[in-house]
Amino acid sequence: MSRAARPSAVGRDREGPAFAAPALLLAGTFLVLPMLLAGVYSFTDIAPLSGAVSWVGLQHYATMLADPVFARAVLNTALFTAVTVPGSMALGLALALLMNSVLPARALFRTVVYLPLVISGVAVGLIGTLLFNETTGVLQTLAAALGLPPVSWQSSGPAAFASVVLITLWVRVGFTMIIYLAGLQAVPVELHEAGQVEGAGRWQRFRWITWPLLGPATFFLLVMSVIYSFQVFDTVFVLTGGGPGSATEVLGTYAYDTAFGPARDQGYGAALGLVVFVFTLVFTLLQWRASRTRDEAA
Amino acid sequence: MMLNRRQLIGGAAAGATASLAGCAGLTGRTPSQEAPEQTTLTFVNWSGDAEKAAFDALIAAFTAANPDVVVRTDTVPYASIQTNIDSRFQAGTPPDLFRVSYIDIGQYTSQGVLLDVSGTFTAERAAQFVPGLYQGVVADGRPYGVPHQIDTSAVLYRTDAFEAAGIRDVPASLEEAWSWEEFAAVAERLAGVTKGKQVPFIYNWQAAGAYRWLSWLFQADGRLLTEDLLAPAVDSPQGRRTLEFTRSFYTEGWVARNSSTKSTTYAGDEFVAGAAAMAFVGDFVLPAVDAGVDFEYRVLPMPRDVRAASDLGGNAIVAAAEGAHTEAALRFLDFIAQEEPMRTYCEATGQLPTLTSLTQTELDFEVRPDLMGTFVEQATTITPEQVAQVTVPAFARINTLLGNELETMFLQGREAGATAQALDEALAQALR
Repeated sequence: MSRAARPSAVGRDREGPAFAAPALLLAGTFLVLPMLLAGVYSFTDIAPLSGAVSWVGLQHYATMLADPVFARAVLNTALFTAVTVPGSMALGLALALLMNSVLPARALFRTVVYLPLVISGVAVGLIGTLLFNETTGVLQTLAAALGLPPVSWQSSGPAAFASVVLITLWVRVGFTMIIYLAGLQAVPVELHEAGQVEGAGRWQRFRWITWPLLGPATFFLLVMSVIYSFQVFDTVFVLTGGGPGSATEVLGTYAYDTAFGPARDQGYGAALGLVVFVFTLVFTLLQWRASRTRDEAA
Repeated sequence: MMLNRRQLIGGAAAGATASLAGCAGLTGRTPSQEAPEQTTLTFVNWSGDAEKAAFDALIAAFTAANPDVVVRTDTVPYASIQTNIDSRFQAGTPPDLFRVSYIDIGQYTSQGVLLDVSGTFTAERAAQFVPGLYQGVVADGRPYGVPHQIDTSAVLYRTDAFEAAGIRDVPASLEEAWSWEEFAAVAERLAGVTKGKQVPFIYNWQAAGAYRWLSWLFQADGRLLTEDLLAPAVDSPQGRRTLEFTRSFYTEGWVARNSSTKSTTYAGDEFVAGAAAMAFVGDFVLPAVDAGVDFEYRVLPMPRDVRAASDLGGNAIVAAAEGAHTEAALRFLDFIAQEEPMRTYCEATGQLPTLTSLTQTELDFEVRPDLMGTFVEQATTITPEQVAQVTVPAFARINTLLGNELETMFLQGREAGATAQALDEALAQALR
């Protein structure tokens, strides 16, 4: 390398951080700092009006262990994740396979399936309240017209939980479909042709060619969906408010209600928020490790 | 038009400068060329369409009389008003003025963050208000705001549903109000004709309205708190009887199961949608109901048991002690507590005044004045003892706990006795 070229290389090195600085500054101020502060606040009590902070150590975490609503919220969040993650991925994959085939008006169908994703969570929740209202809702009117028995979408715990799951699937399926569709289009046609020549049937080709090649897409979706499901808030908040009782209370809504509801317990709210973070982090790390070992083994 | 990056950044910079200049305006520190002595007051409130228009008119009248003061309103949703006010206090920039419901005011007076208005609202001035209501803004003998209006509940009913059920004997005044037993009989008759398409009634204890259950408790001559306001008192024969009766609304199928205390439905909306033959609603809901319905409806007073009772709804307007312009804020409070502004506001919004002089005259309400008389009469059943119980500092928390415990009884079928015990245990914790 010539001597003259060096200063510009050094210049480029200096430019790098300068270009990254605005993004780092924003992320640091609005993501990292609040997260660290939430961690600190989880060991304190915060007076709702003066904002005066007093140190309480691990008290909030001890309260949490004996708090039945917290236990219910953890259970609900885990159940919600266990249902919505595989549910949205399976439906998304099925739709992607359909949309990847020779289907008339494919572009239209893709748009229809993807559309709910661009609506805000609050709007989705509001649409849900119109659909699932137990007395005047669309579904109830439809059920009555078809002579089906009415469902207590709002006043029965399991039905309310199902309403949250259904509305979440409706939104999430568009996303998983798009990712799987991209994955499917990257599967080389030659492999399928070779499989066909060897006498592999449709299912065998899907199981041994398509599915392994969709591995990265599946991994990405798994991580994203688990994070999304653990952090679910807006839809539940608007659709059921965590009710009836605590039947649809999830960690997100419980943390919000604790910190900003009439209890105004921001310290305990921060502790609950931190639990969501730790759960998500652990899940992501586990999945990441599992995926790495799988790749290495492959 | 195509923009290149440089133009975009330039535009953004210009926009940022403009919005920063705007921020200066918000804090009242505008460059002095326009109106050097003008004070800008921030007034945070929540309001429906009718209330917003009435507040705007009120402010316009105030500004006409006080040209040196500008009042800027910040209208936020009711659901987030507390978070909004809290965050402003925490940031050290409390609003000059804000609206607060009587059931929430205790949490501010107990923290000493409200402006003591005893200088303007002397004993003589205080005597002009309905005594029980004025107590709502008083803490430790000192007033911390103006009781601006009250609202209370009565029962709207569909005339077609009553005709179908053959209910002709409808009470027209408090004197004639139905007893609990008579009310139950009416609900039963309505249930017979509406058959699943419509429930007999809906009660407005949803959406932070759990405290409205107390109307039944007070009708039965029960108490929420002991007389010294330091301990819970629901677990009493009266309390159990009230829990038993209100529990029967759900077991008998007189109300929809999605209208429990933690539900996201609103009584007024369900009535407009035709889902209920009767609706217990606050008078403030009338403008929205009247604009929405396509059937004929009238009003009747709340049922009564040992005595008549209804809920203390309504709001005070208060000023922050650490506000930047307390003198101007006091002038605003003084203005809105005068007879004429209060009359105009109440007439436009269907809410009830707090000045004795106005409660004794007939107001010219804009929406359904024919129905408002019942609400005005119903408001006379609110007693000072009741006001004292629902304005304790812990009441906002108590209201939430009440909603949780009642929902467990209404939807999960817990017995009245167990609920009375659970309520007292929960309330004792909140009061600690």
